[in-house]
Amino acid sequence: MSSPTGTSSVSALAPRSGRRRRRPLRAYLEAYALVGCLVAIAVFFSLYSETADTFPTAGNLKTLLGNEAVLGIVALAALVPLVCGQFDLSVGAITGLSSIVVADTMSSGTPVLLTALIGIGIGLTIGTVNGLLVTVAGVNSVIATLGTATIAAGIVAQESGGVAIAGNIPESVFNFGSGETLGIPNVAYVLLVVAVAVYYLLDHTPIGRYVYALGSNVSAARLVGLRTDRVLAFSFVVAGVLAGMAGVLQVARTGGADPRLGDNFTLAAFAAAFLSAASVRPGRFNVGGAMVGIFFLAVLNSGLSLAGAPDYVALYVNGLALIIGVALAVFLGKRRLAV
Amino acid sequence: MSALRVRGLRKSFGATRALDDVGLDVEQGTIHVLLGGNGSGKSTLLKALAGVVPADAGEIEVAGRKHDASSFNPGLARESGLHFVHQQASTFQDMTVAENLAIGRGFELGTGMRIQWRKVRRRTEEVLARFEIPASPDTEMAELGRATQTMVAIARALQDQEDVDQGIVFLDEPTACLPAKETVILLDALRRYAAAGQTIVLVTHRLKEATAVADRATVLRDGRLVATVDGDHIDHDQLVELIMGGVAVLQPRSPATRSPAGRVAQSDRPEALAVNGLVGGAVREASFEVHAGELVGIAGLLGSGRTTLLRLLFGLTPVESGEILGVGSRGAGYRPRDAMAAGLAYVPEDRAEAVFADMSVSDNLSIATLRDYWRGLRLRHGAEQADSRNLLGTFLIKASSEVAPVATLSGGNQQKVVLARWLRREPRVLLLDEPTQGVDIAARAEIYALIRQATDEGACALVVCADLEEITTFCDRALVLRDGRVVDDVPAEQLQLERLEREVHGTIGAATEAAVG
Repeated sequence: MSSPTGTSSVSALAPRSGRRRRRPLRAYLEAYALVGCLVAIAVFFSLYSETADTFPTAGNLKTLLGNEAVLGIVALAALVPLVCGQFDLSVGAITGLSSIVVADTMSSGTPVLLTALIGIGIGLTIGTVNGLLVTVAGVNSVIATLGTATIAAGIVAQESGGVAIAGNIPESVFNFGSGETLGIPNVAYVLLVVAVAVYYLLDHTPIGRYVYALGSNVSAARLVGLRTDRVLAFSFVVAGVLAGMAGVLQVARTGGADPRLGDNFTLAAFAAAFLSAASVRPGRFNVGGAMVGIFFLAVLNSGLSLAGAPDYVALYVNGLALIIGVALAVFLGKRRLAV
Repeated sequence: MSALRVRGLRKSFGATRALDDVGLDVEQGTIHVLLGGNGSGKSTLLKALAGVVPADAGEIEVAGRKHDASSFNPGLARESGLHFVHQQASTFQDMTVAENLAIGRGFELGTGMRIQWRKVRRRTEEVLARFEIPASPDTEMAELGRATQTMVAIARALQDQEDVDQGIVFLDEPTACLPAKETVILLDALRRYAAAGQTIVLVTHRLKEATAVADRATVLRDGRLVATVDGDHIDHDQLVELIMGGVAVLQPRSPATRSPAGRVAQSDRPEALAVNGLVGGAVREASFEVHAGELVGIAGLLGSGRTTLLRLLFGLTPVESGEILGVGSRGAGYRPRDAMAAGLAYVPEDRAEAVFADMSVSDNLSIATLRDYWRGLRLRHGAEQADSRNLLGTFLIKASSEVAPVATLSGGNQQKVVLARWLRREPRVLLLDEPTQGVDIAARAEIYALIRQATDEGACALVVCADLEEITTFCDRALVLRDGRVVDDVPAEQLQLERLEREVHGTIGAATEAAVG
């Protein structure tokens, strides 16, 4: 457009390649601002007198990494339908139900691999139900998943009687879940593998692109021949499977299952999933951003708790993060599209 | 007397100068037409005046008050009496005409915040009468044709002007989806309001309208003011020259652009698509065939079934009866995927329905061909983007880069992206609904050249177009739809504006119609 007027050749209309590859500094700042905050907070708690002795220790960092692995997978579960423009509020409840059932069947001597499959199968089933409710029955995704989440919570209460299941978890499982390899908790590797898999799915397969396309414009997706219902249902199935896996990992990590787990997970997972649109690829929900979001919240909460802040502060942090994450996602999304 | 004075308006987006020292003088009680190609800065100028996207620098003087353009905001714009009616009529589909008119203005309230419906209705009737809108206050917007909806949107903006002649109304492409007859009614009305003292700024791509109604015309190109021409001196060819600058205009009228395929005996060519007694939606027993290499225009008024016809062919509207031959499938299970597999491509009238606004140009171009890049269990992003870069050149798409979100492109360029998305698949049958709506004349010729290129390579194209002149200019043949039926099939040598206009409106007697059918 800034080409001199009066040029008559067609090439003047073609894009000029000069500034194609250069990304302005602002774009980098925007993409990595949250990573910067993460580092800044970590540095602060390493220097702050109250936490300087406890925060930057190998033990604390390992605990942090290990504790966030399960939540990280739940956040990825929430992320996939979110890319599609839909909410899956049942991810926490699926993780909770999966962990209770897995802990229960494991303690009664069922082979470990089979119980893991049962946990994942629970996620698959609920995810499929969610997908069918949203596509075939046409129920709003918030309502549908709130419904299945509530039912799942009901099953948890019935199964567990509200009491945590502990003990009788096979030694090998607990050893894996609490152990470490090369100084890093085993469960962190699991998170890494799952994150890479979801990244691959979303960014390197046609179906991933279709998921983004559906989140962008349903009617356009239909016009290019996409089976929109299938893609949408698929995103819920993926979310269910991931949440089911998170439940299995939770049992390995803690050697038991807590019936109150699910409620806490959903909100924290959504906070991270929304924050994902504020980093790495601003304005778009993405896997890298979700990981940054998870550890940003974890470092903040860990530092605050070591500094002696009461437990409820974590609720403030997560709630604010959710709101700020959503606001940032909207703001950056709009700015990216500004003509 | 000047109703609006703009001086030194500047606005940049990154390295792009969207507005570069633009000035504007709008006289009280006149129709001022704003012209310019896609990306000329018209939209940015309107947004700056509306205060939606404030300019970087400049001065806006309206209603005797000077404002710094960089701090102009929607509140100030409204306060100053600047009213905007946008391209996409911003009406509430499931509310009544009365509600639509009252929203933004306020309902007549009684005690306890109760809406006094009788007063609202009476006022609405007055407004409808004044604007000659054929609707009742209780009609739901969705029941009205799109033409009438546009008129209600305009009435909504103008209704507050009753006793103020200070205000200015900006109409952004108000005639883009109006049939010729109603365009005339609308333009007449605009002229009357101007005569009564109303100041109107009209943005349009249709030069005929500009020459017909403008008291003064301002032409923008590449963000700069090219010229301001006074009414007596406004001349079609001169405007074309001003809008295009030195860029060569493709000569649509030269017979060279009309394909030889259209002129040879059609029976020599293979049949690409045949429709037999097709019924569905607004379409009633349509039968016709289209041959490879043909560019067929579909003429018809709003509601004639012209859009439904394309949607039936592409599997978007269910077929009730009849058959579509040559698509390998028929009946209830026919979906866009099947249509695509049979080599069909569809570009809808509403661009917003076809683009993935927040996704990149490249993503938009490759969405219907994605499987080609799926090799060795991964998407070949490198190849995908390289191809997209080439397509930008081939299809003359102006974009800062292939990874820019498609929403950052101008309307005409978005349209070319949608077209390129399909043409790269080398479709057998192109179904295009108003492919040049809201597109400037240069891009219009380019778009038809691209369509023509596809038909020369053996595709056929069905193009729905409200602008009948465009059909006579660019198409090989025309089908005329009226009330869901194909009432005329006009071959190239008889393709004349008068005939299309007559057939579209059905003013000829039933006898002739019977002879045709």
